[in-house]
Amino acid sequence: MNHDDIKSNVLTTTIERAINWGRKNSLWPMPFGTACCGIEFMAVLAARTDISRFGAEAIRFSPRQSDLLIVAGRISIKMMPVLIRIYEQMPEPKWVISMGACASTGGVFDTYSVIQGIDNFIPVDVYIPGCPPRPEGVVESLMKLQNLVDKEKLSDYALSSSK
Amino acid sequence: MSLEKTLSQIKGSFSDYVLGLTEYAGEQIIHIKGQGVIDVLKTFKDAGFNFLADLTAIDNLTLGGFERFAVVYHLLSHGSAERVTIKAYVPEDNPVLPSIESLWKTADWQEREVFDLFGIEFEGHPNLTRIMNPDDYEGHPLRKDYPRLGRKERYDFPVIDRGIQKQKRTE
Ligand code: SF4
Repeated sequence: MNHDDIKSNVLTTTIERAINWGRKNSLWPMPFGTACCGIEFMAVLAARTDISRFGAEAIRFSPRQSDLLIVAGRISIKMMPVLIRIYEQMPEPKWVISMGACASTGGVFDTYSVIQGIDNFIPVDVYIPGCPPRPEGVVESLMKLQNLVDKEKLSDYALSSSK
Repeated sequence: MSLEKTLSQIKGSFSDYVLGLTEYAGEQIIHIKGQGVIDVLKTFKDAGFNFLADLTAIDNLTLGGFERFAVVYHLLSHGSAERVTIKAYVPEDNPVLPSIESLWKTADWQEREVFDLFGIEFEGHPNLTRIMNPDDYEGHPLRKDYPRLGRKERYDFPVIDRGIQKQKRTE
């Protein structure tokens, strides 16, 4: 093998970049659709805005097989323990998208039974405004999330010495 | 049997229970005491009002009325296409009335809903538990004296952090 072959056939990178590249282009979403936003999310999967272009078409209805939680719809006080449970069942690394006004803030449902933003209880990475957000908005948020994933540091996942 | 005949029959034989008779938007409303629902509704059922279209409740806290709570039954006769509304009143200090689950099975869940949201109890109901709110919920939120924003139930959950990952992330 001569020098020219190496130049055109070998790519050098860091393990961190390679892992992040793989993760960001194969996010497996777990849709948690509880209301009208869940219906809109179906349009995101359909042909017009097809999110398989971003490697995220493998919708998993098992949290154990997914790394992206998409909360689409209002969360009631009866549903919140379920959402927490599902979030905790997802293996790390995991990310959360809060889709729509209701999941992010409670929306117009300022009542005793609706959680005023899931970020009160679980960490959220990207919020999508709108009621419901357009499918393009969801795609935009997915691209934003890909940028976040791309900037992750492997050292952040190391167990801290106190644990 | 026509609605008019049934109403006068009920007024005759259950005069202890009947509080009044009104009409709204062309439909008859009969106001009765809570204990009388089985007798009155059975009479209606036997007279052809075979369909329990709805079962709900009203909190008369600021509206006024015979008692604080009214359980409302909407009946429909498939034979004669007539409708009738029965309002059964129960007092605030003892909101109990007999279950009509024995007459219409559909009343099962509707009575559970009224129990959950208004705290009205139905004697003889096979499984009177909460149907909408969580099992450990306290209070009955559709009562007019229940605060609209609740009693902090919606803030009462554990906060989950990011765990081992991304704790150092700055943005
Ligand atoms: S944000 Fe709008 S569309 Fe989405 S769940 Fe709430 S009400 Fe429905």
